[in-house]
Amino acid sequence: MKYLLIVPALLIATPALAQSTSPSDLIQRYSAEAGRAADAGRGKSFFLANHGSGKPDTPSCTTCHTKNPRSAGKARTGKTIDPLAPSANGARLTDLAKVEKWFRRNCDSVLGRSCTAGEKADVVAWLASQ
Amino acid sequence: MVPERFAEDADRTGHIMLQKNTEQTREGQGLTVPVWDIWVRLFHWLLLACVATATVTGFFADATWLRLHIAGGLGAAGLVLARIVWGFTGPTHARFKDFFPRPSAVMEHLRGGGGRHRGHNPLGGAMVFAFFLAILFLAATGLAILGGAFKTGPLAFAFTFQSGHAMEEVHELIALALLVMIGLHVAGVVLESFRSRENLARGMVTGEKEWRADDHQPRIARPRGLAAAAAIAAVGAVLILANTGLSARPVPGMPVANLDPTYAQECGDCHTVYHPSLLPAASWRALMPRLADHFGENASLGPELTAELEAYLVAHAAETADTKAANRMARGLDAPPLAMTETPFWKHQHEDLAKALFASDAVGSASNCAACHLDAETGLFSPLSISIPKQETIR
Repeated sequence: MKYLLIVPALLIATPALAQSTSPSDLIQRYSAEAGRAADAGRGKSFFLANHGSGKPDTPSCTTCHTKNPRSAGKARTGKTIDPLAPSANGARLTDLAKVEKWFRRNCDSVLGRSCTAGEKADVVAWLASQ
Repeated sequence: MVPERFAEDADRTGHIMLQKNTEQTREGQGLTVPVWDIWVRLFHWLLLACVATATVTGFFADATWLRLHIAGGLGAAGLVLARIVWGFTGPTHARFKDFFPRPSAVMEHLRGGGGRHRGHNPLGGAMVFAFFLAILFLAATGLAILGGAFKTGPLAFAFTFQSGHAMEEVHELIALALLVMIGLHVAGVVLESFRSRENLARGMVTGEKEWRADDHQPRIARPRGLAAAAAIAAVGAVLILANTGLSARPVPGMPVANLDPTYAQECGDCHTVYHPSLLPAASWRALMPRLADHFGENASLGPELTAELEAYLVAHAAETADTKAANRMARGLDAPPLAMTETPFWKHQHEDLAKALFASDAVGSASNCAACHLDAETGLFSPLSISIPKQETIR
């Protein structure tokens, strides 16, 4: 009986401990959590949309990341942000803790709330397809 | 036949030779004798260049010109030291004993007596020594300011920000006095040129002056070039050794040297890694618990990491450093500042810069210190480390 409890615990704990993931792992993970398939098209419109429900200086993802995920963006501080698309920046979407940290921060800044697992799955799917 | 001019070695025997040639000379027009040797002339005009450089950059140029200001000032001081050596080893009119302003000689000169001095007259001699003193004091106080405010150079170990700042007032007063002295010097040259019916400035170019029978008789001295070169080399060596030794001394009040890697990583993701000494402990204590609304963005980190970074920032806050930024920007404000760009000191320091510069691609935001301050992450913010992005990139 005890083994049955350890197996799901390991499944949850392993990616977080290793802090290493891949775009396809992330899509799988967030889709499973959302209970539906990821949709890159929906991710694109979510990313480009002007939400305006978060903090006034950051109405959209594109405020800092630009409309092209393959090009570098710029933080409001002037600091360059490396491209989000894994095809332009191999380090992107490979560290679960980082992905979670920035979704947590930026969804709050742009939307004024946390992103749902479905929204995360869509955005990751779109970024990975670029 | 009257010689057009005496040979270069006239100084050696010139006195006697001139005596012998008195009759000839009185007939001859424009007979000249060497007065200012080449080293005195080079010294004079190079000193003018150095003082002019330091004066213009000191009074009119912004902080980015400091390197040239220091070069001018230290160059002038170096020239003066070499000239002091030459004052004991040079030819007749280069020597201090030729123009040391004894009070009796000054009084006699003021009464219009004592004969024409081919070298410096007693008043001019007094001005030479006053120039030397002023220039050496300017160099010393300049190094004190550099050491106190920017923790740089041979006097950094000995001066706090406050004592260095006090020297700034002295430095400015002496600089103003030097300007007045330069005015008096030029006026004296013009006046004396009229009085003695000769072009004194021309003499400092050609090195030669008209010989006149009733000239004040100088004490002939032979130049000792080797001794001078050896003495100048020795003084230079001592200064280089002293500079190396003193610069290596531990400097009190230095901001913490190594930035915490976690702090640099986490906070540097979005902005310049602000040195902990740029804000007082109270500001860090106010900023860190509110990272979820950090200048208009969510920058939250999780409670453990936040506490760890706050402890690091408080431990090395402005109170622990004696830099200019820590003294002028972070301290002495009624309420602890949150945004550095809102402090009166920051605004004053950046008021001459175009708004377009901050909006340019190369800078992007006033919070991007490191765009121009190459030493931003050391907390020193030395004027010597400012490099403003080229204008082409600013539209």
